[in-house]
Amino acid sequence: MQDKLREIVRKMLSDGDIEYFVGYCQGSEAHRIVPCFVTEESEVEKLVWGPLCLQNLSKYVLRTRDLDGKVGVLVKGCDARALVELIKQHQLERDDFVVVGVACEGQVDPRKLERELGVPLEQVGGIEDGGDEFLVHVGEETRKVAKEAVLRDKCFFCKHPPSFDCDYTVGEPEPFTIESDRSEFAGVEELEELPLEERRAFWRKQFERCIRCNACREVCYACYCTECLFDRNVPRWLDRPPLLEENEIYHLIRAVHLAGRCIDCGECERVCPVGIPLSRLYKKVQKDIAELFDYQAGMELETVPPLVNFDLDDQDPFL
Amino acid sequence: MAVHDTESGGNGFEPKILVFACNWCSYAGADLAGVSRLQMPANCRVIRVMCSARVRPEFVITALSKGLDGVLVLGCHPGDCHYSEGNYFTRRRGLLLQKLLQYVGIEPERFQVRWISASEGAKFAETIGQVTDQIKALGPNRSQNGMQPAEPGDS
Amino acid sequence: MEKKKITKADVTRWLDQIAEKYELIGPTEDEDVVQFRPVNSGAELTLDYANSLIPPKSLFFPQVEGLFSFQKRGKEIELEEAGPLERDRVVVGIRKCDVESLSLLDRVFLDDVEDALYKERRERTALIALACPTPPRASCFCTSFGIDPLSPKGSDILLTDVGEVYLVDVVTEKGEQLVAVAESLFSKVTEKEAQDLQPPPVEMPELDLSELREKLETLWEDGYWEKLSLPCLGCGICTYVCPTCHCFDISDVGSETDGVRYRCWDSCMYNDFALMTSGVNPRPTKRERIRNRYFHKFSAFPSRYGTNYACVGCARCLVHCPGGVEITEVIKDILAKEGVSEG
Repeated sequence: MQDKLREIVRKMLSDGDIEYFVGYCQGSEAHRIVPCFVTEESEVEKLVWGPLCLQNLSKYVLRTRDLDGKVGVLVKGCDARALVELIKQHQLERDDFVVVGVACEGQVDPRKLERELGVPLEQVGGIEDGGDEFLVHVGEETRKVAKEAVLRDKCFFCKHPPSFDCDYTVGEPEPFTIESDRSEFAGVEELEELPLEERRAFWRKQFERCIRCNACREVCYACYCTECLFDRNVPRWLDRPPLLEENEIYHLIRAVHLAGRCIDCGECERVCPVGIPLSRLYKKVQKDIAELFDYQAGMELETVPPLVNFDLDDQDPFL
Repeated sequence: MAVHDTESGGNGFEPKILVFACNWCSYAGADLAGVSRLQMPANCRVIRVMCSARVRPEFVITALSKGLDGVLVLGCHPGDCHYSEGNYFTRRRGLLLQKLLQYVGIEPERFQVRWISASEGAKFAETIGQVTDQIKALGPNRSQNGMQPAEPGDS
Repeated sequence: MEKKKITKADVTRWLDQIAEKYELIGPTEDEDVVQFRPVNSGAELTLDYANSLIPPKSLFFPQVEGLFSFQKRGKEIELEEAGPLERDRVVVGIRKCDVESLSLLDRVFLDDVEDALYKERRERTALIALACPTPPRASCFCTSFGIDPLSPKGSDILLTDVGEVYLVDVVTEKGEQLVAVAESLFSKVTEKEAQDLQPPPVEMPELDLSELREKLETLWEDGYWEKLSLPCLGCGICTYVCPTCHCFDISDVGSETDGVRYRCWDSCMYNDFALMTSGVNPRPTKRERIRNRYFHKFSAFPSRYGTNYACVGCARCLVHCPGGVEITEVIKDILAKEGVSEG
């Protein structure tokens, strides 16, 4: 698959179709795969593909707005949902970028893998796909790890935008499926069932840890505003010191701003250095939107987003 | 923002409630309540907005996080919006926001949306009374956080 | 310098006794994240750890600290300054890279104008360092900066994990006082025994940085920075987890009549870091901002303070960067540069 990918990218670069290609390459340790920007044909060999290609590269496509030419990008089916939304939200034109869709067999959550293996990630020498399991090289041995145990949460509920056409494909991008008795909103429901005071205590503990590095915002495909309201001085929505009440404002406003736009790529939670379970916050809004307005972000280009739309017969609890 | 004059809770507690009232219906309704000399508690501070849809969710979140005890958004009845459809958006947003706030542990009574027309002076007074009672019963919103200068030892 | 040893069980007892006299701070694990926090007993600590997420610089220069609170009543303004530490503090478990970073921060906060809050914390805190395990983390590269992860320099006591026991180097008078808290738990070690117990030097891939500054300074206009800025997302993780980053912002929180003036960390990776009131931003894009970060570490800081590079090789930025920018790779790229390239 890597060879096919490299061949496609080499051709795009030599034909002058794109200014650069955004893919994945090997970082300084085997388990660390990092985004990579290929401008020269000679760099094409750096491109890799595997179960640790975690980043949602769609975010990087936004830069095409500042360029004369196009950007090429490698996307997993889940990441393509971001592209659908960016087009829908009038941030990108479909013709601005070239998409290479890749067949994905599930991505590894590094934190889960570390726990499962019981050794630091730096000892992982590589991971290969083995159907229902991953083959993980640790030192001299190859350990088999069930996918069920180490997949990223979102992979259990893999959704691809059915009508989105890639310009090229590597393998056959189909939604990944796995036998599992998990339910998508279990993490949300568990909290919903707690008494109000306990929910409050739970979230205050999470927000208290926040160091407001802004990584969750910067990594989010949907955060493309030229000036974020949190950075504005007049009016000032947010004070810089990461005090609990400020952090709470930050996270709750983000949650409502992403309502109907969050595609559950899980990047915010992945990059959070202090491990705040942000998905459980955003998935709550997703769940409500699915239940109330029967809508899922990033799936179709045509449907109208729920918060710029209404129905005369909408539920009205305020009468 | 130190908004609490009274920290007592319970019986002596006088909450501060922020009311956003739409210019065309609810604010006129408030006026009518005033000229009709209807009695209502003095816990509400009214801000006039051109439409209930003007109230962005961050207004509500910030008010509650900064320590106000409740936020009430008042708009025209669905179907009667001066701008035809503003309050339909308010309805969707309000519902989502209330659910989110509840999810992070804020009582749903602290954020409410009601429809009040220009002729409903009595309903305005009644709503203000009702919401004030509900919030009084809940007690003060969360205490202020971290407003004291830290000692050098705190980190 | 005197060498002693103490068993692992006794270390906990010793720390319990320290906690009675001092404020004890050390690495603790919560929700999979290791951070330095105040504790009441030795048992709460996680001493077999790699390194903390946020460096212990935060114990001397916290992410948020109130400088004073103010109250305005009519025309009267009342100010209340942050008070002194309640108790002397002991930080246990600090790694050598972080000890070294404090000597760099000392230059910033104690040279020229002394920062009273920082000074108070530095003077009233003893450091019990913990020598690094063999092998170290794969990403560590402190030796490239001439730092020996087993050296007691800069700390008051150094503990070296040698299996059943810790080898104890008592470096300073403060260190002796700490040992004296529970003298009987320690036993003497002969020079011969100490030599036998001492672990071999830590080996890690070493970069030759002798030409780094010189090389870097020729690359101000190089196209490299544009390319390096592409994966950068513009978040502040690298600066917040950096033990030598020390930029801060001051802001008032509260109302006009009641509030607190805070100092809190700022990050040069943020768009508004250098933004001026006029709307002019000398570092308008990520290219200028990321270039600034590396120039500050490897050129501006050493030139301003006459020190070594302002990096201690802890690799926290490398490990946590969500865009995969790796400082070791950047250094290698800079060293490999021959002449200036176009963007």
